[in-house]
Amino acid sequence: MSMSLVGNNFFNKRRTIEFAAVGIIGVLMVVVLPLLNSLNLMSNFWLGVIGKYLCYAILAISVDMLWGYMGLLSLGQALFFSLGGYMLGMYLMRMIGGETMPTFLNMQGYTDWPWFFGPFTSFPFAMLMVLIVPGIVALVFGFLAFRSRIKGVYFSILTQALTYAAALQFFRNDMLMGGNNGFTDFKFILGHDIRSADTQRILYIITGVVLIGIYGMCRWLNGTKFGLVQRAIRDSENRVLFSGYAAAHYKLFIFVLSAVVAAIGGALYVAQVQIINPAEMQVDKSLDAVVWVAVGGRGTLLGPIIGAISVNALKSWATNVFPDAWLIILGGLFVLVVLFMPKGIVGLPAQLMGVWKRYQAKRPAADETPVSLPETSTTESSASSPAK
Amino acid sequence: MKALSRLLSLTLISGLLCSVSLLAETPRETIAKAALNEDSAKKREIITTLVGQGDEVIKTLMDDWKADKLFIHTTAAGEKVVVRLQDDKDDAGTQSAVRVDDGATLKDASGSPLRLVAKEQKAVEHDRGLRNAMKAVLDLLDLSSPDAKKRIQAVETLGAAQNAEKLPALEARAKVEQDPEVLRELKEAAALINLKNSSDDVKVAALKDLKELHAFSSYDLIKATLKEAETASKAPVVSAAKDALAAIDSHRTFVDFFGTIFRGISTGSILLIAALGLAITFGLMGVINMAHGEMIAVGAYTTYIVQNIFGAGVTIPLFGLSLAIPGMHATGAWYNSYFLFAIPASFFTAALVGIALERGIIQFLYRRPLESLLATWGVSLLLQQVFRLTFGANNVQVGSPSWLSGNWTISDIIFNWNRVFVIGFAIFIVFGTYLVLTKTSLGLLMRAVMQNRNMAACMGIRTSRVNMLTFGFGSGLAGLAGAFLSQITNTGPSLGQSYIVECFMTVVVGGVGNIAGTVTSAVGIGMADQSIQQILLNPVMGKILVLVGIILFLQWRPAGIFVTRSRSLD
Repeated sequence: MSMSLVGNNFFNKRRTIEFAAVGIIGVLMVVVLPLLNSLNLMSNFWLGVIGKYLCYAILAISVDMLWGYMGLLSLGQALFFSLGGYMLGMYLMRMIGGETMPTFLNMQGYTDWPWFFGPFTSFPFAMLMVLIVPGIVALVFGFLAFRSRIKGVYFSILTQALTYAAALQFFRNDMLMGGNNGFTDFKFILGHDIRSADTQRILYIITGVVLIGIYGMCRWLNGTKFGLVQRAIRDSENRVLFSGYAAAHYKLFIFVLSAVVAAIGGALYVAQVQIINPAEMQVDKSLDAVVWVAVGGRGTLLGPIIGAISVNALKSWATNVFPDAWLIILGGLFVLVVLFMPKGIVGLPAQLMGVWKRYQAKRPAADETPVSLPETSTTESSASSPAK
Repeated sequence: MKALSRLLSLTLISGLLCSVSLLAETPRETIAKAALNEDSAKKREIITTLVGQGDEVIKTLMDDWKADKLFIHTTAAGEKVVVRLQDDKDDAGTQSAVRVDDGATLKDASGSPLRLVAKEQKAVEHDRGLRNAMKAVLDLLDLSSPDAKKRIQAVETLGAAQNAEKLPALEARAKVEQDPEVLRELKEAAALINLKNSSDDVKVAALKDLKELHAFSSYDLIKATLKEAETASKAPVVSAAKDALAAIDSHRTFVDFFGTIFRGISTGSILLIAALGLAITFGLMGVINMAHGEMIAVGAYTTYIVQNIFGAGVTIPLFGLSLAIPGMHATGAWYNSYFLFAIPASFFTAALVGIALERGIIQFLYRRPLESLLATWGVSLLLQQVFRLTFGANNVQVGSPSWLSGNWTISDIIFNWNRVFVIGFAIFIVFGTYLVLTKTSLGLLMRAVMQNRNMAACMGIRTSRVNMLTFGFGSGLAGLAGAFLSQITNTGPSLGQSYIVECFMTVVVGGVGNIAGTVTSAVGIGMADQSIQQILLNPVMGKILVLVGIILFLQWRPAGIFVTRSRSLD
C-alpha cells in the first residue's frame, strides 16, 4: 500500500516542477558556470564563492534530513562539517611537504608528525576518514542520546553542548590540530596545485556533482518505505513505537547519515576555501545552517539548497554594503521567517495562493494575517507536559 | 615568674622612654639637625637614631636629600635653616621654600613667604657612608609604618633576604607589635633568618617554629636548608626540615580542599543566578529562549549605565544620534552604593525587554519550542549587534564598589568578598523566587497556567497576561545575573553567549520545571568544574569533562535529577 502511495506521489505536478528546477539549476551550476569561468567570462573569485555556497547547501541538506524529515533539530551539524574538513585538512597538511614541521607542532616541541597524522599521506585513507570519523562520533553520541530517549529540545541542547565542548577542545594547542589558527597554507591535492584556477574549477564541478548526488540520494530515500517511517516518527513517535518499529534505530541511521553528508560538505569546503579552524565548529555556525533551512523551507530538499545559497548571497552582499547591520538583518530575517513564513521560500507560492483564496472567499473581512498557521508541524510537545 | 615580671616592666619602661624621645624630637627635626651638623660621622649617628620610626616623611626628605633638593639657607638674622625647595621655578628661577624642621613655609622678617633660587643656596652634602645609613633607615622604615599591610610586606622582604644583621630590628619590632598577623610574619621572618645561622640548634628551633607556622612562603627556603643539611649530613636538621615541609604540605592540602569547595559553591552560585531565570522560562513555560544570554547582557549594561549616572555620565551613540546621560559625580560611599541601585534597575530593565520579547514574538510560539528556539536565536543575534552599535564592540568598564573588592583570609583560605557576596545573593534570589512562586497570587496563577493552560483559562485566568508576567520575571532574574556578572567578568556584547550553554545544561540536569533541581545541579556542576580544574590545572579540559559527564549523566537519569512525574504521553 505504501508503495502505491509513493508511486502516486512520484510523478505529481509539484515533483515535476521540482525536478525541472533542480535540473536547470544543476546544469547552470555544474556546466555553464565552469564553462564561463574557463572562457574568462566569470572570475575565479566568484566561482570560488559559489563553490562555497554549494558546500553550505550540502550542510543544509544534512540539517534538513534530520530536522525537516525526522523532527530532530541538531545543533551539532557544524561539528560534523568541520570534522570532515579537518580530516581532509590533515591530508592537505601532509601534502605541503618541506623539511620543517608546521608551527603549531614546533611550538609543542614536536620534530616529527604525531602518530595519528601518519596514514594521512594517503588520499584514499583521508577520504575514508572524512566519512568514518564524523560517522563514529555521531554513532556514539546518537546511540547514547536515542537510547535514553532524549528528543526534541533536549536533543538540540545536548548537540549544542557537544559542539561547544568540541570547539573548546579544538581551540587548544595541545590538541595538535592547529589550535586557534587551524590548518591553512595548503599547496597540493593529489599532486595538483590546489590554488590554481584549473584545480579549483574541477573541485567546484565535483562539489556541484556531489550536491546533486546527495540531493538525489535523499530524494530516493524519502520515497522508500524507510522515508515514510522516518516522517511518521517526526509526526508521532509514540504511534510508530506502538506499531512495532524501533524508532531509535531509524533515528540513529539518519543521524549518522546526515553527519556523514555534513562531513562531505566540510571536506569539499576546505578544499576550496583552503582554511579550517575551530571557529567553523562553533554553535552559531550550526544555527546558521538551521537558518538556511528555515528560510529555504524545511521538509523539502530543494528548500535547504535555495536557503543556503540565498542567505549566503544576502550575507555576501550585506556584509559589503551594511557591515554593521548584517547581524540585525539576519536576526530579523530569522524572526520574520519563523513568524510569517513557516514553510520558507519554497512554501511561499502556496502560502500566497492560500492568502489570495481566502481573500477571494470573504472579500471585505480579509484582515486576518497568517501569523499562526495551524498546520505547521507540531513535532515537539514536551513543552505542554505539565510541570509539577 | 619574677624574672618575667622584671622583663615586662623593663619592656614597658623602654617603650615609655621610646615614646618620650619621640615626643621630644620629630623625624623632621632629627633630619634638620643631621643636615646642619658639620661632621659626617656625627651626621651618620644622628640619622641612625631614626631606625624603627615609621613616618612617611622620612622617606620623602631622605630621597630629596640624596637628590640634592635640601639646602642650607642663612636667614637675614644669620640663623642657618635647612629648607626644601619645591614647586616649579618661576621666571626669575625662584622656588617656594619649606622648612625641614617643622614643615612650615619659610618666611622673611616681615612674614611674607620667601622664594629662593636653588643655585644661590648651599645644597646639603651627603657622602657614601651617610647614604648607607639612610638606606638602613629606609629598609626598616616600613617596619614601623602605621599601615599593617606595609609592615607585613616589609617583614616578608626582610625574611626572604635572610640577612642576619636585620634580626635585632625584627626582634625589637616584635616586642611592640600589636597586630597578630604582623606578629606571625615577624616570627616567620626571624625563623627564616635563623635558618642561615651556623648553629644547628638554632636551625632546628627555627624549623620547629616554621612547622608551627606552616606558611607557604617559607617552603622554598626550607627546601634549600634541607638540601644543605643533607649534603652536610646533619640528621637533626634534616628531620626537622622534613617535618616542617610535611606540615606545610598537609596544610596546603587542607587549604586547597576548602578553597575548592568555596570556589565551587561560588561558581555554582553564579551559574545558579544565571540559570534560575531560564529555569522559569524554559522549565516552567517550555520556551527555549536563546536570547536569555542577552537578557543577562541587558542587566550588565544597565549596571554600567547606573554606574556612569553615579559617576561622570556617559554618551551613547544610539544609531547615529548621540544620547548624553548626565552623571551625578558622586564620590565615596555614595558612589559605591551605585550597585545597590543597579540591582533593581537591572531586574526591571531586563524584565521590560523580556516582556517586549514575549509580546512581540514568543506569544505566537507557545507549544512550538523548536520555533521559539529559532526566533529567539534571531533576537539574540539582533540584540548582540545592537549592543555592539550602542556600547561598542569592546568590553565596557564596570568598576566594583570597594565593599566588593577585597577578601578575608582565614587560615590561608582566601574568601573573596565578591564570591561571598555571590553566594549570599544566590541564596537571596532563590529564596525570593520561592516566595514569589508560593506565597504571591501571581505565583499561584503562574503555577496554575503552567500546569494546565487550558484549564486555567477556563477558570477565568487571563493566561496571556500571566505568560507575559512570568516571562518578564524570568528575564528579570537574568538581568540580576547580569548585574552580578558585570562585577566579576567582562561586560561586552557577547557576555551572554558565554553562559547560555552552561545555563541550559544546568536546567536540563536539574530536571526541567524544578527549581530545587536547578539549585542542586548548579552547585553540583560548579563543584565538579572547580575540582576538575584543581586536579587537572586546566580550565578548558574541566569544562569539556563536565559536559561529557553531563551527557553520560543523562543516560542514567534522562529527565534530570528531580523527575517531574506525569502520565501524559506526548
